[in-house]
Amino acid sequence: MSTINAIRGLRRHRTQRTGPFQRFLGAPLVWLFVAFNVAVLAWLLLSSTKTTRDLIATPWSLPHAIQWDNFARAWSAGNFGPAALNSAVLVAGTAAATIAVAAPAGYALSRLGARSAEGMTSLFAIGLGIPAQAIFLPLYAVMNSLGLVDSLWGLGLLYTATSMPFAVFFLTGFFRSLPAELEEAAALDGATPWYTFWRIMLPLARSGLVTLLLLNVIGHWGETFFALVFIQSQSLQTLPLAMLGFLQQMQYSGADWGGMFAGIAIVVLPIVVLYIWLGRRIIEGMTLGSGK
Amino acid sequence: MTASTVAASTADPAVGSPSESPAGARGHNAAAPRGGRDGNPFRARQRRLYIPFVAPAFVLYLAFLIVPLAGTFWISLHKWPGSGPMQWEGTRNYTYLLHDPVFLHSFRNTLVLLFGAGAATFALSFGLTMLLRDMVGRSTARSIIFFPNIVPALVLSILWGFLFQADGLVNKILGLIGVHHPPAWLAQNHLYSMILLGVVWTSTGFYTTIIMAAVDRIPPYLYEDCALAGANAWQRFRHVTLPLSWDVIGICAVLWTINAIKTFEFVLAMAGSSSGLPTPEVWTVSLYAYASAFASSGVPQYGLAAADSIVTLVLVAVLVFLIRRVMRRDTIEF
Repeated sequence: MSTINAIRGLRRHRTQRTGPFQRFLGAPLVWLFVAFNVAVLAWLLLSSTKTTRDLIATPWSLPHAIQWDNFARAWSAGNFGPAALNSAVLVAGTAAATIAVAAPAGYALSRLGARSAEGMTSLFAIGLGIPAQAIFLPLYAVMNSLGLVDSLWGLGLLYTATSMPFAVFFLTGFFRSLPAELEEAAALDGATPWYTFWRIMLPLARSGLVTLLLLNVIGHWGETFFALVFIQSQSLQTLPLAMLGFLQQMQYSGADWGGMFAGIAIVVLPIVVLYIWLGRRIIEGMTLGSGK
Repeated sequence: MTASTVAASTADPAVGSPSESPAGARGHNAAAPRGGRDGNPFRARQRRLYIPFVAPAFVLYLAFLIVPLAGTFWISLHKWPGSGPMQWEGTRNYTYLLHDPVFLHSFRNTLVLLFGAGAATFALSFGLTMLLRDMVGRSTARSIIFFPNIVPALVLSILWGFLFQADGLVNKILGLIGVHHPPAWLAQNHLYSMILLGVVWTSTGFYTTIIMAAVDRIPPYLYEDCALAGANAWQRFRHVTLPLSWDVIGICAVLWTINAIKTFEFVLAMAGSSSGLPTPEVWTVSLYAYASAFASSGVPQYGLAAADSIVTLVLVAVLVFLIRRVMRRDTIEF
């Protein structure tokens, strides 16, 4: 009996030994990582209000006086203003179009019981693995001959189409998780299939649609590869192109990190706001599909 | 494969109502109710929505992803400056790649990113998962670690470059703690390591979140059993956490492969040169494809860019296949 107690005591001792290790060494490491992320973000936003000289000389200090001028320079000379407008229109249009096309497809693939549905869903899922660089050449050649290169319409169309694999995959899963009762009740009440989709299933799927909208917007807000290939005029630049342009411009006209960080703040602030507001949803949406 | 799927989906509504023409099947509100295979008119009418609902998404998918993929393969067999006639090259683009030191270096960089940064990311993600498991404020910590994932990679890359500049923040901090001759972080021999470090930093949150979700599903009594049996942290990880989150790790590995291959922005903005492209030392296969097609100097070499893309795609396919093969096990129900 006493031996057992002794062993128990030993065991308890052993399991507790891992506790302090985690608490006193592990947790601080985690918080260090967390603090690094917060510090980087705070520093970035703070830096956007400092002069370039202050930024380099005293990177830690608070700004002497807030340099709204940085934002003015980035907005007009750095082309961030028009670029922000282009990006906003493009991203909103793409997200809306993606949902308009993908929602019916997701619904049909998950709830109509068609025989080919499963195969089609897998086919869409395969598209998740196709990288942009594997398709841009033919797209460029064909869209160029159709006058869709150097056009926000063309880029929007491209974004919408390349959003399909994830959007359809995501919404198929989401529609599948909805209860069947309401659909059946609607059928009993004599609703047409279209009405059932439009007035019953779509509103039920609203939270999934909103999540998809968010992910789509976030994904395209900083999309660089296609934008770089398909947009040439400065007037059509999106935000990533404006950032790259500003970076290159600094090679010639001298470092203007104040302006650069103001530009970066213009890109990052909307995302920060979205994240603080709807962060849980964004995280869940992005990691869905993998958690099953 | 594509063609047969299309054929199958076109044939499908005909099962529900054999007498109808495909044209009639398209109108979702025009057709009168009629008994289907299972004698449920609603289901039969509903099935008529299938094609008009799926077709737009599928056509976009086909036209912008599948067909261009075939196009890329076709271009890879030619010499083509992007316009004008194409000149048949056969497999010569591929053999050229095999002997092109720039490509081989890009390919090696990509592999280092895939496996080196991948190992670091996964180790870090698992470590964080275990540490976060019973920590106070875990969801806050998780959200903040996740955040870099949704910031455009370009922003992070520019920031990263600034932090490691010669007179940048990192060196200032090192100076404070007495390191007065820090390495030249952004010199050619260190630049790629800095890029890898940046990629690990930004991706860790994503995989931590996924793995955490999987680990959270493991019933706590298993860990209590472990505690009773006197298992230490490593044993708990090895015998409970790892086997029970195995499937999710497999999915993470596939996601990592796909995402790592796409790495482009993070390398691009580390350029630091006026030509707009970084030094070939740090190119990955995606940079190589972009540079071959759109380099500011010289004739665009679409064939080469296409061949590079095809090699990349084959690499992805092989890796995903291998991962699925290696990770396949009997699912553990719990």
